Amino acid sequence: MSTLASGGFWAFVFVVAGIYTIFALGLQLQFGFAGLLNFGQVAFMAIGAYTMAILVAKEGWSMWLAAPLSVGAAALGGLLLGLPTLRLRADYFAIVTIAFSEILRYVATNDDALTGGAQGTINLRGTGVAAQYDAQWQRFQAHVQSFLGLHSRDAAMLVLVWGVAVVLLSLTWIAIRTPWGRTLRAIREDEDVAASLGKNVFAYKLQVLAVGAAFAGIAGLFYAWEFSFFSPDDFEPLVTFFAWMIVLLGGLGRVWSVPVGAILFGVIFAGTRFFNFVPFSYFGSADRAYLRLMVIGLIIILTVVLRPQGILGKRQEMVLE
Amino acid sequence: MFWQLVANGLVTGSVLAVGAAGVSVVYAILRLVNFAYGDFMAFGALIAYWFQGPLHLSMVVATLLAMLATAVLSVALDVALWRPLRARRAGFMSLFLASIGLALVLRQALLLVAGPAPRFYSVNPYRVFVIGSVRLAEAQVIAIAAAAVAIVLVGLFLSRTTAGRVMRAMADDRSLAAVSGIAVSRAIRLTWIVSGLLAGLAGVLAGLVEYSFDPNFGFQLLLPIFAAVVLGGIGSVYGALLGGLVLGVAMELSTWSGFAGGVNPTYKPVVAFVVLTLALLIRPQGFFGRARLA
Amino acid sequence: MPAILEFAEVVRAFGGLRAVDGATFEVAPGSITALIGPNGAGKTTVFNCATGTLRPDSGRVVFEGKRLDRKPPHRIAREGLVRTFQTARPLTRLSVRENVMLGAKDQPGERLTGWLWRPQAARGREALVRRRADELLELVRLDALAGAYAGTLSGGQRKLLDLARALMVEPKLMLLDEPMAGVSPPLRLELLNHITTLRADGVTFLIVEHDLDFVMQVADVVVVMNEGRVIAQGSPEEVRRNEHVVDAYLGKRHEAVAS
Repeated sequence: MSTLASGGFWAFVFVVAGIYTIFALGLQLQFGFAGLLNFGQVAFMAIGAYTMAILVAKEGWSMWLAAPLSVGAAALGGLLLGLPTLRLRADYFAIVTIAFSEILRYVATNDDALTGGAQGTINLRGTGVAAQYDAQWQRFQAHVQSFLGLHSRDAAMLVLVWGVAVVLLSLTWIAIRTPWGRTLRAIREDEDVAASLGKNVFAYKLQVLAVGAAFAGIAGLFYAWEFSFFSPDDFEPLVTFFAWMIVLLGGLGRVWSVPVGAILFGVIFAGTRFFNFVPFSYFGSADRAYLRLMVIGLIIILTVVLRPQGILGKRQEMVLE
Repeated sequence: MFWQLVANGLVTGSVLAVGAAGVSVVYAILRLVNFAYGDFMAFGALIAYWFQGPLHLSMVVATLLAMLATAVLSVALDVALWRPLRARRAGFMSLFLASIGLALVLRQALLLVAGPAPRFYSVNPYRVFVIGSVRLAEAQVIAIAAAAVAIVLVGLFLSRTTAGRVMRAMADDRSLAAVSGIAVSRAIRLTWIVSGLLAGLAGVLAGLVEYSFDPNFGFQLLLPIFAAVVLGGIGSVYGALLGGLVLGVAMELSTWSGFAGGVNPTYKPVVAFVVLTLALLIRPQGFFGRARLA
Repeated sequence: MPAILEFAEVVRAFGGLRAVDGATFEVAPGSITALIGPNGAGKTTVFNCATGTLRPDSGRVVFEGKRLDRKPPHRIAREGLVRTFQTARPLTRLSVRENVMLGAKDQPGERLTGWLWRPQAARGREALVRRRADELLELVRLDALAGAYAGTLSGGQRKLLDLARALMVEPKLMLLDEPMAGVSPPLRLELLNHITTLRADGVTFLIVEHDLDFVMQVADVVVVMNEGRVIAQGSPEEVRRNEHVVDAYLGKRHEAVAS
């Protein structure tokens, strides 16, 4: 391999891994623990990111108010999606959730007045004005950097993202061990039994969908801050599929397998950029992008075929499924 | 204007119906949601393009060859991927995720080979059929006609031929069918062939109707097709056909000015999903589906 | 004493077929009532109308004076009406103990906000729940397997787990769906003993069963259904002598009832 990139590049990779950790953790909660086939998770990331950007750039709100409200908006989105759809059978629910995320992306693309349209957040205040939403965040990041004596902004972002990720991971780990978590797992195994024991299955599913959506909203915030700009195309279904891949790679139903899967995924995805050796060197750069996604696809297939329990999962649990 | 929109809706609906039938038949017999189906369609569309454009074959021949090629791809993938997964008793989730991985691989492969530039078939855009206030281009009429023929053939195949009856028996109860001595593996291979043929046809028709297409267009079509399958009741081929037509007409008709100004045409896919969600609220199993996942 | 559970003119059709065609009967509190009848008589459908799995097209199901037929299954369970399933259904990837602990009512920790706002109360209750679960596991002699995955249990052990789990909910009335189906003789005796002991503790039972030996041995009241209607109701001896019942069961059943 030719020269691996600088520390700055790998810091970026780990920031993205951190964002995906938070994002995929929501999915792990919904599917790994409660059995919900949510294929529209990216929609809640979009709601989080866009709500914050709109409130800050267009309405002039403080980031400190806008951010928690955006997470709340994402959770509300989860509730609104779940209310009419959670009673559907599992495979229909999966399809309707994809539809939901595509509808949202569609609206974001076409409603220029609300979201800046296809050109993205830079267009939030109309043409001619380059809208920015992260001035406050940059200042905050600089504070953190000097407070902790770090030598780059990237390092500060790394600390912030992973700090929040670790907090959420710990909270989830605790939650799963509570009676609430036990009921979720029971619902995943057999809804009818859970209902026969007096558990309101619908209410639990709704809660989990909303909490998982809130996590995706938080991931959306960090995404927005990391890239300082985004457009509706950043929230395509492929992002949700990557999260599924992470959850699968790490192992279903385990909290700490999510960061393992996310880091692995990030390293693979970024690392394939450095495939400068034969046969990859025969391809131009655009083609290499296609090849990299092919590699991702192949990894998904191989994981499903060869190690469906993921890296950290237990084979025994798989057999019991 | 109203009838023009209905006619346009039948055109879109025909394409959706053919596509939905191909998805449904695999689900009915193999309990597999094939997420790579959109890319099968794109594959078919591109193969037909190569036969018609550079090789100057007639559209009909090109389409038939594309259908065959897609069927071959479909069966090859069954041997390479689905059979090993069946041997490992993979559950619904594993199959779904594997099909997502497959979709990724296929789409990137198509992009690698064909590039992202849009292609179009050489059909005459000026040849127009007029019935009353409705005008349809040649491509649109071909789409409706071809879809109708395909639907009738599929219907006949399923109800009149032994193979078709075997497939329907398997859809009803796989283990019972296996025990009663039906050649399960042959039926599965047939299922993939039928699905591949329909995917190829749907891809070509979609390419005809949309005028231009590229390797990415399969996924854009996949969601309305899934919507049609679910609307019709997953696992029911007739339901898929009906669902496709209903959604196609709903999508086009929603832009009619008579509906309070009509929906902005760019939101047509949104209409499909809204119709689907509303329908599922009223009848959660779709037109012909069963109430609970077996 | 008023009936604890009443079915009044319950009707349920599937498409054109009336599976239950006006079923009316009562379950006396503290009794073991068996619901029998040939295949297709409508027993399971009536059963499912009581558990909330199905909604009757017309008629009423009343439990302790409250109407059940419009309630969802989890609310019915909370009222004190707990069911088991015909094939044992363990929650395979939870431990045996967790399976039973799940049945606990009034555990604030089960609410999302419960363990956030009231962690002390949740923890205290959890300790009690755990103790009660262990007691129940001891009762069904599964205590040695408390920590194992429920999916590793044998068929008979799973039936016992179902029972312990249902008991955790502190039912007033237990609805058992063919509890003796596929059960070995020693286990049948064990289950029978549990049922009679529980009846002595005041639990009412409504049991759908095909095993007529068991029914005649244990039931206080036998309700016989045929073609969607109740054709006889009374003590096992009364029912055995009833000629309508004998007619309904032809062939092998005929001998079993007459003996």
